Amino acid sequence: MRYLKELLLGIIICSTAIATAKAQDIEVPLRFDHYYDYGQVVEAVKALNKAYPDMTDIEVIGTSEEGREIWSLTLNNPQTGEALQKPGVYVDGNIHGNEIQAAEVNLYLINYLLENYGELEKVTEMVDRNAFYFIPSINVDGRYHFFNDANTPSTNRGLRIPKDDDRDGLYDEDFPEDLNGDGSITQMRKKDPFGEWKTDPEDPRLLVRVEPGEMGEWTILGQEGIDNDGDGRINEDSEGYVDPNRNWGSNWAPPYVQRGAGNYPYSGNVTKAVTRFMMDRPNIIMVFAFHNNGGMFLRGPGTKSEGPLNAQDISVYDVLGENAEKIVPGYRYLISWKDLYSTYGDFTEFTYNQVGAFSFVGELFMEESETYTAHDEEEAEAAPGFGTNNARQRERLEFNDHVVQGSLYHEWETYDHPKYGEVEIGGWTKMSSRLPHPFMLQDLVHRNASAVMFAASQTPDIKIQMYESSKIDNNLYQVRVRLVNKNTIPTMTYHSVKNKLFPQDQLTVSGRNIKVVAGGKLTNVYNNTVDYKEHKPEIQFLRVPGSGLVEYQFLIEGSGSFSIQYKSRKAGNLVQEYSLH
Amino acid sequence: MDSKNSRILFCGMLALGILFFSLSGAIAQTASTNGNEYHTPSQVNDILRDIHDANGNNTKIHELAESPGGHQLLMIEIGPEVHSSKKTKPAIFVVGNMEGTIPVSTEAALYLANEVLVSEASSSKTWYILPNGNPDAAANYFNSPLIQDSRNDRPHNDDMDEQEDEDGWEDLNGDGMITQMRVKDPTGAWMVIEGEPLLMKRADRSKGEKGMYKLYSEGIDNDEDGQYNEDSDGGVNVNRNFPHLFKDFTETGGAWPGSTPEVYAILEFAYAHPEIAMTYSLGATNFSMVPPKGGRQGSADYSQLEIPESFAEQLGADPNKTYSMEEVIEMVQPLAPPGFEITESVVASFLGLGAVVNPMDADLKFYKELSDQYKEYLEEKDFSTERLDPEPAKDGSFELWSYYHLGIPTFSMDFWTLPEFKEEKKEEGSGITIEKLEEMSSEDFLELGEEKITLFLKESGAPERFSAKMVIGMVEGGQVTPARMAAMMKQMPKPPSAEGVDPDDKALLAFNKNVLNGKGYAEWEAYDHPALGEVEIGGEAPYVRNTPPASMLDSLLSVQVPWVLEVASKIAKLEILKTSATHKGNDVYEVSVWVENTAYLPFPTAMGEKNQNPKPAIITLTGDIEVLSGKTRTAINSLGGLQVKKYSWIVRITESDEIEINVDSAHAWGDRTELKVGGAQ
Repeated sequence: MRYLKELLLGIIICSTAIATAKAQDIEVPLRFDHYYDYGQVVEAVKALNKAYPDMTDIEVIGTSEEGREIWSLTLNNPQTGEALQKPGVYVDGNIHGNEIQAAEVNLYLINYLLENYGELEKVTEMVDRNAFYFIPSINVDGRYHFFNDANTPSTNRGLRIPKDDDRDGLYDEDFPEDLNGDGSITQMRKKDPFGEWKTDPEDPRLLVRVEPGEMGEWTILGQEGIDNDGDGRINEDSEGYVDPNRNWGSNWAPPYVQRGAGNYPYSGNVTKAVTRFMMDRPNIIMVFAFHNNGGMFLRGPGTKSEGPLNAQDISVYDVLGENAEKIVPGYRYLISWKDLYSTYGDFTEFTYNQVGAFSFVGELFMEESETYTAHDEEEAEAAPGFGTNNARQRERLEFNDHVVQGSLYHEWETYDHPKYGEVEIGGWTKMSSRLPHPFMLQDLVHRNASAVMFAASQTPDIKIQMYESSKIDNNLYQVRVRLVNKNTIPTMTYHSVKNKLFPQDQLTVSGRNIKVVAGGKLTNVYNNTVDYKEHKPEIQFLRVPGSGLVEYQFLIEGSGSFSIQYKSRKAGNLVQEYSLH
Repeated sequence: MDSKNSRILFCGMLALGILFFSLSGAIAQTASTNGNEYHTPSQVNDILRDIHDANGNNTKIHELAESPGGHQLLMIEIGPEVHSSKKTKPAIFVVGNMEGTIPVSTEAALYLANEVLVSEASSSKTWYILPNGNPDAAANYFNSPLIQDSRNDRPHNDDMDEQEDEDGWEDLNGDGMITQMRVKDPTGAWMVIEGEPLLMKRADRSKGEKGMYKLYSEGIDNDEDGQYNEDSDGGVNVNRNFPHLFKDFTETGGAWPGSTPEVYAILEFAYAHPEIAMTYSLGATNFSMVPPKGGRQGSADYSQLEIPESFAEQLGADPNKTYSMEEVIEMVQPLAPPGFEITESVVASFLGLGAVVNPMDADLKFYKELSDQYKEYLEEKDFSTERLDPEPAKDGSFELWSYYHLGIPTFSMDFWTLPEFKEEKKEEGSGITIEKLEEMSSEDFLELGEEKITLFLKESGAPERFSAKMVIGMVEGGQVTPARMAAMMKQMPKPPSAEGVDPDDKALLAFNKNVLNGKGYAEWEAYDHPALGEVEIGGEAPYVRNTPPASMLDSLLSVQVPWVLEVASKIAKLEILKTSATHKGNDVYEVSVWVENTAYLPFPTAMGEKNQNPKPAIITLTGDIEVLSGKTRTAINSLGGLQVKKYSWIVRITESDEIEINVDSAHAWGDRTELKVGGAQ
């Protein structure tokens, strides 16, 4: 960063323009008419803990490459049991440093649940029944640099692990520079009759490609900056690049296969810290990882080669995903590899495979929402992934001009570039394109938090029912037990049962004066068919499906009282006492 | 349950020789490398510390990690730069006994450390030597009862019940080792091999054989779930926990690559030390003798990529056609935002191409040549090469990770197998061997005639559908050559002999009789089992197939280990061969530098060139110059063994006409020189 003056200027401009709050302003209830920078996210987490000390625990789960603390907040009502004895709902955000509104969704949900606990019945019930885990900002270095440095909407996504992108033996030596000092890295263009671009006749701020046979007007030189290392290329070796969302140990692939993978799984501090946090909380059964953008709820698998998920799990995802689509209008429930692109070693791959949790990536914000137009698949295809769509750009410019008074677009201005000579600098600022303007933030955070709350209301809720007990013989009894789950989410993913990720739930019959002679799953209650377990009939291993039940039959010898115990890694523990008569 | 039991059986198919081995090895009390002894993990660590105490100037001890069982993974560094963290000379990273079940490889690592210390190699390079990569498992060899098990001590619920590690083996007959139990049972799948009362085989119903026994590993059903020894202590098999071709959801591979601290520490260490120019894994495989195996399906062919329909239209590609990587990059580049470079990795990511799974042809060339040299070397030393094949490298192993991910020359070595058992030649045999077949021309082969060919096919266990007539037809028609046929036959599993004893078992039977005096097997003896009733306990002793008697250690290691030094002497070395300056007019010169890799091995491997992991060497020009054409910092991404490449620049001299030229490399020495351009024409 050679241009310290510009940089400082940029921070000032940027912080006044975006209305960030000062640390001492942070009070509960939190406000969502601005974005929280890294320090303020930490302050907000502390403020929530201070306001609700009985319901929350906060913890530093690790430190980043640059030494910043990564904070978690656990929301649990100790009156209704220990956190580990309840279904765990895990929410995080901002694993990509630039995707900042993800942290606001986390903060909003914490704030909303705490504020409405005891006020709204649904909130009270889901808070009492679940343990919520939040890591609002995972990539804390990225968040810090996104706020404090000049950026494009997409830079500072990765980790601060130096990498020699241009293979010249130097590390991270050619960042972009904020030449015009506006706090953003925008584009540079130069007048050039042989260029491939010309001014868009409908809006002079935009460029269109020249048709074959036409002379051009502009050459696009790329991101704002200079050639720091004198190698003839500009901005070719900025931070990293290690993408924290490709650094997880499930279906991981090395960097030559998956750009940004890092040298090995969990080579990043933050991925390692979050993994430790999650492995210590085996009750986690629901995961939401928030990103931006595009308006999507994505589920795995991340690559085609893994094959489709089990039908049993898909049906659960479908209920949650289809409801999320209704809760956040315009958002689409999609399959990661198929509808987007292949990714190796991403976070939800890890959480589905190794934590055994139903896992969504929430891609927050769709630029269409600025002008309230729906996502148009045909239009999207006409302007593929990397491309630009001028019709959409013109709409967004109108939004910039008339709704946010020009604050998201920097008009082209001439600049005397040390290498290129006279150029123009301008374009979308860093707070544009992937982020809702603060006035739209409240709507975004509430609706997306609601998608999480819907899933939290559907975590497994198990009841034991001993619905039949009959005397067969002198002191031999036949007992039928039912485990009922009224909610959508089963007690285990089918995937984790199939792959023996951890032992299944246990149903145990025990008592001082009894002996379980036989026991097994009742496969047909009318025909009395029982799949008796050959050894140790007093312990049965099972999974309770969503919106369903499992039934077991035991032949018990003896008399007096006995207990039926249900033990589940993810759906809590229950004990009921009965007696034989 | 059946397959599970048989796996555990297999793990537990271990036995005698305990007396034999433990007397010579396990009871070694002093930390000494003299003599023929096996050393416990803690003795090994003591030896490393002793070596360091005696050689403070050129050794250093690294504490890499602590295993789940509480063993320190100590590594010794030997070299001229132990006191500086940034090395200027290349390093060799040697790991021993990653499998944890191969005590001889740990001794080899210690032997190597001592060899290095007295050799020139200790001043020209850095050596990182980790004798016990899997110390928890390595400790098993010194415990009683004797168990051969690659897993570390991390608890694992193998049978997915309510307890962890609750049903391990028991040495019921008190012979100091875990062998097998057999129970007479009409539903059993196993039978005694006729004429070989020590050996059992699966009955083949198609041959009218009938199973008579059920087989179990030795022990009781501690948790009374009907399974025997299905949840013993441990753990993760450390040498399946590396990132290349790691498999999710195996019982012993660990949760993810690097999930176990031994492996994570090695990953961290290797990437923190770019001076590592070569790795050597001492253990079960032998890349020194047998090049890494290819032929696996699944490598994406970068010359024939398919574009899925979802991208095809945007890219203007035909989903029914294939394209080369270069073509795809060209298609994608115009769609990328300005300044964003489309690389192979970007394309590989979005097309989901997956990792390379077969060794690169260019690398196989040096593997093959060095393997031939190694065999010659052994022959010169009168070292018998009549041994069983080394094991193929396993998915998730250190050596595959090193080759595919680190992208540097990766070698491995095993030190002993059972001597190959030579059947006495039957008079009526065909007289043909696969080796002979390999050398034959098609004409030679056809001359043998149908009768001999039939006999040969039968001897070599070819599937019955390959009749002599058919094979003759194929050779006549040119569909197959004898050499090709030989290559195919080498891939086939070795045929069971007439009695159903496979060649490896024959080798063991012979060794047992000739060398071990019967201690390689426990004779089957009756035992009254608390749950199974009348059983017999017996079978093969643990470690007999891969662990030579300690008395053989010196003779094995003194010949084989020095080859590591020989291969290490061949690692790439970059030198400036010559420079030139040509006057172009005014103060403008063309400067050329010829860089030579003066060593045999390439810089880096072809795999390393592909995965771009090893750091490139950088040529820099410094002086009062303006570079008009070319880069002031130029990467040398690859330079084959003994190859020369020329690099040129056009420069303008601003003041002094002296240019300093540096070739900097993290792992291939590098070089520098000065060039005076004045007077150049």
